[in-house]
Amino acid sequence: MDTVANLLFLILLTPLVSAGLIWLLGRQRGALASVISVAAAAVICLAVLHLLFRTWDGEGFAVSMQWLQLGSFELSLGFYLDLVSGIMLLVVGCVGFLIHLFSFGYMKDDAAKARFFGGLSIFMFSMLGIVVAENLFMIFIFWELVGFSSYMLIGHYIAQDDARSAAKKAFIVNRVGDFGFLLGIILVYSTFGTASLPELSALAAAQPEILTTALGLLLFCGVLGKSAQMPLHVWLPDAMAGPTPVSALIHAATMVAAGVFFLGRTVFLFTPEALEVVTWVGVVTALCAAIWAFAQSDIKKILAYSTLSQLGFMVAAFGLGTLWGMTQSSEYALFYGVGASMFHLTTHAFFKALLFLGSGSVIHACHHEQDIFKMGGLFRKMPITGFTFLIGVIAIAGIPFVAAGFFSKDAILFVAKSQNQAAFIILAITAFLTATYMGRLFFITFLGKPRSESAEHAHETSWIMWLPLVVLAVFSVLGGHAFAYPPVLQELIQNWVPHPQGADHTLLIIISLIASVAGLAIAFFFYGTGSYGDRLQKVAPPLFAISRSRFYFDEVYNAYVSKVQQRLADITAFLDTLFIGGLCVRGLAGVAGLGGMVARSLQTGSLHAYVWWFFIGLVLFWAFGAGLFLTF
Amino acid sequence: MNGLLQLSLIEPISNALQGFHENAAGANSLLLLLSIISPLVFALALAITPRLSPWAARVVTLIGFIIPALAAIWLTLSYLAIGAGGGYAFILRFPMGLEFLGIEFFIGLNGISLPLFLMAGLVGIAAGLYAVQSDVSNAKLYYILLLVMQGGLMGVFASVDIFFFYFFHEFALIPTFIMIALWGRSGRKTVAIELTVYLTLGAMITLAGLIALYVFSGAEAFNMIAMRNALVEAPMQGTIFGLLLIGFGILVSLFPFHSWAPRGYATAPAPAAMLHAGVLKKFGLYGLIQLAYPLLPVGAASWGGLLLWLALGNIIIIGLVTIAQRDLKLMLGNASVMHMGYAFLGLYAYSVIGVGGALLMMFAHGLSVALLFMLADGIERRCGTLDMEEMGGLGKKAPVLMAFFVAATMASIGLPGFANFWGELSIFIALFQSASPWALVPALLGILISAIYGLRAVAAIFFGKSEKEWECGDLTFKEKFPAIILLAALLVVGFWPRSVSDSVNEAVKQSFSQMNEMHPETRELVRN
Repeated sequence: MDTVANLLFLILLTPLVSAGLIWLLGRQRGALASVISVAAAAVICLAVLHLLFRTWDGEGFAVSMQWLQLGSFELSLGFYLDLVSGIMLLVVGCVGFLIHLFSFGYMKDDAAKARFFGGLSIFMFSMLGIVVAENLFMIFIFWELVGFSSYMLIGHYIAQDDARSAAKKAFIVNRVGDFGFLLGIILVYSTFGTASLPELSALAAAQPEILTTALGLLLFCGVLGKSAQMPLHVWLPDAMAGPTPVSALIHAATMVAAGVFFLGRTVFLFTPEALEVVTWVGVVTALCAAIWAFAQSDIKKILAYSTLSQLGFMVAAFGLGTLWGMTQSSEYALFYGVGASMFHLTTHAFFKALLFLGSGSVIHACHHEQDIFKMGGLFRKMPITGFTFLIGVIAIAGIPFVAAGFFSKDAILFVAKSQNQAAFIILAITAFLTATYMGRLFFITFLGKPRSESAEHAHETSWIMWLPLVVLAVFSVLGGHAFAYPPVLQELIQNWVPHPQGADHTLLIIISLIASVAGLAIAFFFYGTGSYGDRLQKVAPPLFAISRSRFYFDEVYNAYVSKVQQRLADITAFLDTLFIGGLCVRGLAGVAGLGGMVARSLQTGSLHAYVWWFFIGLVLFWAFGAGLFLTF
Repeated sequence: MNGLLQLSLIEPISNALQGFHENAAGANSLLLLLSIISPLVFALALAITPRLSPWAARVVTLIGFIIPALAAIWLTLSYLAIGAGGGYAFILRFPMGLEFLGIEFFIGLNGISLPLFLMAGLVGIAAGLYAVQSDVSNAKLYYILLLVMQGGLMGVFASVDIFFFYFFHEFALIPTFIMIALWGRSGRKTVAIELTVYLTLGAMITLAGLIALYVFSGAEAFNMIAMRNALVEAPMQGTIFGLLLIGFGILVSLFPFHSWAPRGYATAPAPAAMLHAGVLKKFGLYGLIQLAYPLLPVGAASWGGLLLWLALGNIIIIGLVTIAQRDLKLMLGNASVMHMGYAFLGLYAYSVIGVGGALLMMFAHGLSVALLFMLADGIERRCGTLDMEEMGGLGKKAPVLMAFFVAATMASIGLPGFANFWGELSIFIALFQSASPWALVPALLGILISAIYGLRAVAAIFFGKSEKEWECGDLTFKEKFPAIILLAALLVVGFWPRSVSDSVNEAVKQSFSQMNEMHPETRELVRN
């Protein structure tokens, strides 16, 4: 098994070396930086495929070495490969490479290309670190590092005000989540005496009674931040201020899914009560984000809200599936939640990366126009982008049997139906809303007539940008079938993902069919194809206003920051200056007048005076040292 | 001049040769001595040479900083190579005629002082490299004072003898006052006076505490090794610990004795701020770790409750004060006060993890705060202001400066990959395992607070569009050099913490087990 460790080491080290090389050689040479970064991504992708197809036998693999020791506290640096991290490696490796390739074309004319590609490499390093990490502290370390790379890349366009505030917001909101996350990790470490995932899994199975709900919920705080679940979702839509490939890679396919991945890695640490909370956070996020998507006109913002909603699906799937699995007797039952959420994570990574890159292609072609009401008619002008985008829409809408999204969403709806009727109904409605707002996006952007100068002159982008779209479109179709995955991972797709049988099967197909087809059809007839403005706004202003309000989360947080936090800081600073600095200390320094004379005499002194003072001091020192004073 | 130099060196060297029997690694002991003496000697050389071209003065100054830095790196590597565990190595001692007071010249390094000694060398060379490119009036005196400071700093952490430990601290402290008074920003006189009064008071309380410690322990000699084998009776422990905690606490800006620090650092010329905030400030914590805690466990326990609240005051109250700052250097000064709260929390936890974490934190904080003060000075020179609300858009013009500043900010707010993270993490874990696990919740609020002010500063300075047209370039090669030294050290330890933590771990474990032997009743107090 040595080669598994070597390959994992190679996978983790390649992007770090790439980032180092870019820093050393490529700061002034953007083209070189982009080549290094894309080559590193290719190496990672190949190494992952080699690992999954040829080297790894599917058994859990753990290896570690000591990284820090203080007293009884030992922290190790190690790898832990299991099915969950295996499929995540596949996603990060493949999607990561395709997005790097796309960026090569998309960022061609950017002034700060080296910073961008260096950032991408740091991101790959951090993300892969989370995936292969053997213990919770290591996950936390890389968790922070992805947060940092996300910060850097959101803020890529440093001159723009929205990038500035979005980057800051993303980092700080994530730190709010990490506050609970780190507390949870330390609590786990103190409870179990170890942070190693394989050891924790064995201990939790042996003594389930020492698990507490608080522990699971604290860990879940980290997921709230990273996977942008309510109420910490506010940073993700703003993060769209970053370059589009970043939105695709970090804020759709991989980093934001890290929370779901983390849940899959630590499923044994959650009590049923904690899972209940997890479920409802996911369900509510899925529904609310879908509602908010209707009032957006920026193509990337619509996709961002759809990402939020889909992440809600995954989190809910984890909660519902695990709860349901606890009542089942199959040997895989405990992994139903993990299976359902990881399956949806995978298909979502494919189709959402496809949709984001498609939007990037559109934005690139329309000279950085992002308003869908200023586009239109792009299907004819950009047939490859348009067609692949359509596949993405079909996949996310979940039209039965056509694309991957159906299969994974089907599994989620199935566990929801089996476990919790209310959650099932809400998720089914959300699925319908998803199809509708995605239909709105597609029809307004790609059909009808061009509604602006830039859309008029749009044309298909270069092959380096459409090739990733085509590959991702293929994945988005095949990704729902087990045969498309490396043999070692098929167990997860086949056995861990609960599949409906018999009457349930028929019922769910009917529901999916109605939700997806009806949603798309309603979007087609309601929004039409040539709209200059939002029809919902004209027909039903109150409904539009509800969607537009985004339930005032941002307003409340902004008010907190400016009215509470800043004022508290100002008042504290004032009191500090007044009482501690002013009265106590200055009062004490009332002796100051005395010191003032000393200082003045110092000020007027010449260099030689100081030197002589020092010299005398030194002589005295040596005299003292030599014991001259003792003769007295 | 050469003759004088040689003369002043001969006696210690011949004494050192006599002390050779102490240990085999005599050459390294001499190197340790050299690292203290060389900055002082070069300062003297600058002072007594009447006319020196500016260029020559710079070279002499730089050599005075390079020798201790290289010596510190070499000694660290040797220490790790000889496998000294955490114990003392490179010992050098010779009598000064004060044996009847238990005082002698006695230097050496153990696992606790080693990382701080290394940090002093690295921050020193960075400050020196930065100082020689500053455009100041009366540059010669400026260099002399910095060199004296550097000699004192190396001496503080190399001294085993407690008298010299204290003496070297004063040696480094006094130039700080003078430098603020002569080259400070506006309001320098008031600040210099305030600082002098305040820190002298702290130093005097410390001295009283140290003398009381010596007297009441009945130790054979006034040095750290002999003291470890001495016993202070329980009733006196509380009083002595209190003196040391307040005395050292003032010097480390423990809340509410902190107000000298932000103003002092904001006013001081950058190299002095680097050396003081980075290195000299750690004197107090170092003294507590090396002396107060191992010798006075009962006293420490009785003051623990108060210390916890004061340390949380550093983190939460000063954290909020930091958020309110508009002046970049005042913000950094406050942030540095805030971070001392973490180190105190590590001491409060009173375990190998906690004290070890505090040492890692001190090491890392010294490097990162020095880097930040240096870069802030560079920003001030470019923007002509330190008011962050007047800045903006510097990232486009100075991308390298931005990269360094972002890295330093990230290091100081505890991003993994930089050394600071290990200190913070260990302290958090230690705190949770201490008698008051609840304190972890307010302590963790600190990571939020520091993210808020850190990122705000980055956004205000570098992002956005510049409203003014600055005629400034990016970091020059000469400016990059010291920055790279500091950043590289932060990254090396960030990626491979064991380079520092192993000897810290051994040394702290030893000091705890020695303490448990001396005070069997404290076994309950300390968790390993």
